[in-house]
Amino acid sequence: MKRIDFRDQISSNKRKSFFLMISVFVILIALGYFISLAFSPEYLFFIIIIAIIFSMSYILISYYNSHKIAIASVKATKAYKDDYKQYHDLVEGLTLASGLPKPELYIMHSKSINAFASGRDPSHAVICVTEGALEKLDKNELEGVLAHELGHIASFDMRYMTLVAVMVGMIAIISQIFLRSLWFSSGGNDKNKAIFILIGIVLAILAPIVVYLVQMSISRKREFSADASAVKFTRYPNGLIRALKKIQKDSNFSEKKISKAIAPLFISSPFGKLSSTHPPIEKRISALEKM
Amino acid sequence: MLLLFWILIILGILLVFVFFGYYNRFVLLGNRIDNSLAQINVQLKRRADLIPNLIEAVKGYMKHEKAAIKAVTDARKALVGAKGVEQKVEANKQLESALKTIFAIAEGYPDLKANTNFLELQRELTSTEDKIAYARQFYNDSILTYNNLCKTFPGVLFANLYGKKERKYLQITEAEKKNIDVKF
Repeated sequence: MKRIDFRDQISSNKRKSFFLMISVFVILIALGYFISLAFSPEYLFFIIIIAIIFSMSYILISYYNSHKIAIASVKATKAYKDDYKQYHDLVEGLTLASGLPKPELYIMHSKSINAFASGRDPSHAVICVTEGALEKLDKNELEGVLAHELGHIASFDMRYMTLVAVMVGMIAIISQIFLRSLWFSSGGNDKNKAIFILIGIVLAILAPIVVYLVQMSISRKREFSADASAVKFTRYPNGLIRALKKIQKDSNFSEKKISKAIAPLFISSPFGKLSSTHPPIEKRISALEKM
Repeated sequence: MLLLFWILIILGILLVFVFFGYYNRFVLLGNRIDNSLAQINVQLKRRADLIPNLIEAVKGYMKHEKAAIKAVTDARKALVGAKGVEQKVEANKQLESALKTIFAIAEGYPDLKANTNFLELQRELTSTEDKIAYARQFYNDSILTYNNLCKTFPGVLFANLYGKKERKYLQITEAEKKNIDVKF
């Protein structure tokens, strides 16, 4: 596997995050524009201004609270050092190996083996693992999984993926509201209005699909590079390889409470084999074995 | 004529940015090396601080193992007294092997093995050892990044240009090299 230089990865992630924010902003404004044209052209500017303020504040709030949102959405609780000594020790060792600040540690109450990282930058990062992971993985395996999550943190992956996750949800919600509200709108006779409604519908359907496809293609690449970083930190690929094998055997568990939007944040797909946010575990193992 | 003038101005500004960028990069990487060195020392100190507690916990049980206990206290003394990372890391090796003996002996004392205080100390000591290994690895990584920047083109030009100011970091690099010579 071709090794990706860390600094290149980080700057490209920062650049992509920026473009993503801009493009989502444009999509939101366009959606607002066509929705307002479709319903009430007389309030056009008013609605656009509302849409701008709304989307700007939404982007800023979600950017600064991305880690809290992710933690709250899986109902994770804080892992205190006295109760989870090994978990804390392993993360502390890995932060020394990677030169990163220590992230906040959380526990997700689930019997399956999984973990995720979130936060906008390394000094606002969180790592969350399931109770199942702490019970079923041995020290080296758990260390491999934690190193993988720190790899995401080191290359600013979570900033990017969390933004994508939040944006996908946002665009999906707006599109849904628009499409549903059409059922209740009084059918106007105006021909122009019909055209705008049509454009609005097309946009409302297309926008989430486009963002979703972008999300899928990027998140798969991120997994490989986080695996590579994990090896860089631990110098012991076998730990992660064994952990991935255990996860694979364990994957008949499927998490129902995890929203689709945050799926790419996890170490292995929380939905079983069908989801395409993660590359197949076999491929990841064979890439690790080559290192 | 005017166009040429502007092109030169822009090129000049870009060049200044390149000079600034390289300077900052050298400082940044140098600081990272210093910091990782400090991290090794923090973990070594933590380890030395844990030893008296371990001796206290073990003493009552291992009355006939005075030699093994003395080896640990001696190694700790050497670690506390050592100056410079090389010596400290060397002393830590000694301490590590003395601790291994103690923990091996402890296997034969079921009462001691049931003592939660002892188990806790054993876990802490193992974890600081892991952390020292990781801190050293990061230190070596930082040196490698710094050296790569110093020796590859065009970094080598800037390294020469700023050489005097950055001597401090180069000394650390040499010290680490000597350490490697001793090992292999």
